[in-house]
Amino acid sequence: MIEEPYRWVEAIANRREYIEGQLAPGSPIAALGYRDGILFLTLGQTRQKLFEIYDRIAMGAIGHPGDIERLRMAAIELASTEGFTRSAADVSLRRLVHYSLSPVMKSAFEQVYGPPYLTRMLFAEVGARPEDDLFLRVEYDGEIASNGATHARARQDFAVLSGTRQSGELMEASLKTGHTPVASFESAVQAALDAWSVGHMLLQVTDAKELPERAAIAQHRREQLARAAIEAAVLERDTSNAIRYRSLSDKELRSLISD
Amino acid sequence: MDHSQLGFDQNFSGAAGDFPSLLRRKGLLSPTVIGPMSQNATQQQVWQPTEATTILAFKFSGGVLVAGDRRATAGNTVVYDRADKVLEIDRHSIMAIAGVPATAWEMARVLEHSLQYFRRTQLQEMSVDGKVRSLSKLLRDNFGFVMQGVGVVVPIFATYDGNSKPEARLYFYDAMGAQFEATDYAATGSGSPAVRGILYYENNWGPKPLHKLSEEDAVSIALRALDTAAESDTATAGVDRSGKIYPVIKIVSREGITTLPESKIAAVFKEMVA
Repeated sequence: MIEEPYRWVEAIANRREYIEGQLAPGSPIAALGYRDGILFLTLGQTRQKLFEIYDRIAMGAIGHPGDIERLRMAAIELASTEGFTRSAADVSLRRLVHYSLSPVMKSAFEQVYGPPYLTRMLFAEVGARPEDDLFLRVEYDGEIASNGATHARARQDFAVLSGTRQSGELMEASLKTGHTPVASFESAVQAALDAWSVGHMLLQVTDAKELPERAAIAQHRREQLARAAIEAAVLERDTSNAIRYRSLSDKELRSLISD
Repeated sequence: MDHSQLGFDQNFSGAAGDFPSLLRRKGLLSPTVIGPMSQNATQQQVWQPTEATTILAFKFSGGVLVAGDRRATAGNTVVYDRADKVLEIDRHSIMAIAGVPATAWEMARVLEHSLQYFRRTQLQEMSVDGKVRSLSKLLRDNFGFVMQGVGVVVPIFATYDGNSKPEARLYFYDAMGAQFEATDYAATGSGSPAVRGILYYENNWGPKPLHKLSEEDAVSIALRALDTAAESDTATAGVDRSGKIYPVIKIVSREGITTLPESKIAAVFKEMVA
């Protein structure tokens, strides 16, 4: 039975495999810190994938809409009550994710008789300077990845979310060469579109080790842009408004895209 | 395992989007019980209008102008001479408050957060009617305190409706939460009788009706009205000439809210009022 440790590990492994399979076709999301804020971008088919959480916090997610909705609502409730009882400055993404969302997602995942959260989420909090931007990616099992420096890699000014690990890794590789934190809004949009295209192309490929050719990326990007609508939002660095989140219309962005 | 202990409520009710009820569920806002009055309460103890201040708002050519003096009083003591009673609720809405400051500021804070909470959870802006009704509900919920004589608030709400028919909208309320849409102007607080007299006069027999005034003329009428209110009402400061403390004046228009800088108010005051 499940009480036996080995069975439990097996059940968890099955569950992981199942969830990974469910998330695999999810359209990638790129989040980039640039000079004037943080840009979230994806190409959407039907459902809204980018959301405002609080004054300086936004979220992008793939997975089951019901699970995304429950976690989104929980995050907004927590941030709003904290912001109301204390102040907006006391609402912190780090605390929200580490102390509230991650533990709940982990225990839901490991209670093998209950349903796990079928979602992968990317949060960002805009800082006063690009160096202060925080990106946190939360997995269905409560695992958290941040953009901070580790012993293995330097700090990143971007974060990605994709259906498969490999697609996500190559999106990061694309942004590592194609993006800088001092970039203008226009070049951030270009870099995000390229990263999205890389991620989207590699969702179908199982063993890609390197980035596709530039021409192939450009072609895929053109094809997809002709088909799907752009969904994007920014968290502005400008402090004159307390609320930094602004969603961008497809039309607004089309005029910026050169090719 | 009970997830709610781990940080958040699993039985969420996403569709409601009502921030005050969320706060009540978490014990962060007082319940809405309208308690019975004390049996031996005398007539004097029951209800005393204590909205000692003056706020006014009127529509002019550039939108709605909302102005408030800066004095806060407790009985016949001046507590503070730089109070801000004209509060921004969102990018297009202003709530100006007369009444008990603790309750009024808390109410403004709840309203501000309610509108944001609604937008974030429901993924759309609340309609103007919805906003007006939210404030009405907060006043209604507060009525128990009003009956106990400790929390009367009588606000003015000014906003710009960008959706259905683009126009400035102005509302005033009574302490129980009844909302009234003002066509031209509104004033509440202890100094409001004088202000209403002036605005009525200006609107009917002045050189121009209020809604046709330029910004400068509108500011000068607001300053004159507050100064007149201060002449007879001790709870209204008007313009403090020696301390150089001017009323707070904000304008709501299609573009959003503009707070007039003190230098601009001072210039109009010097030329048209002093």
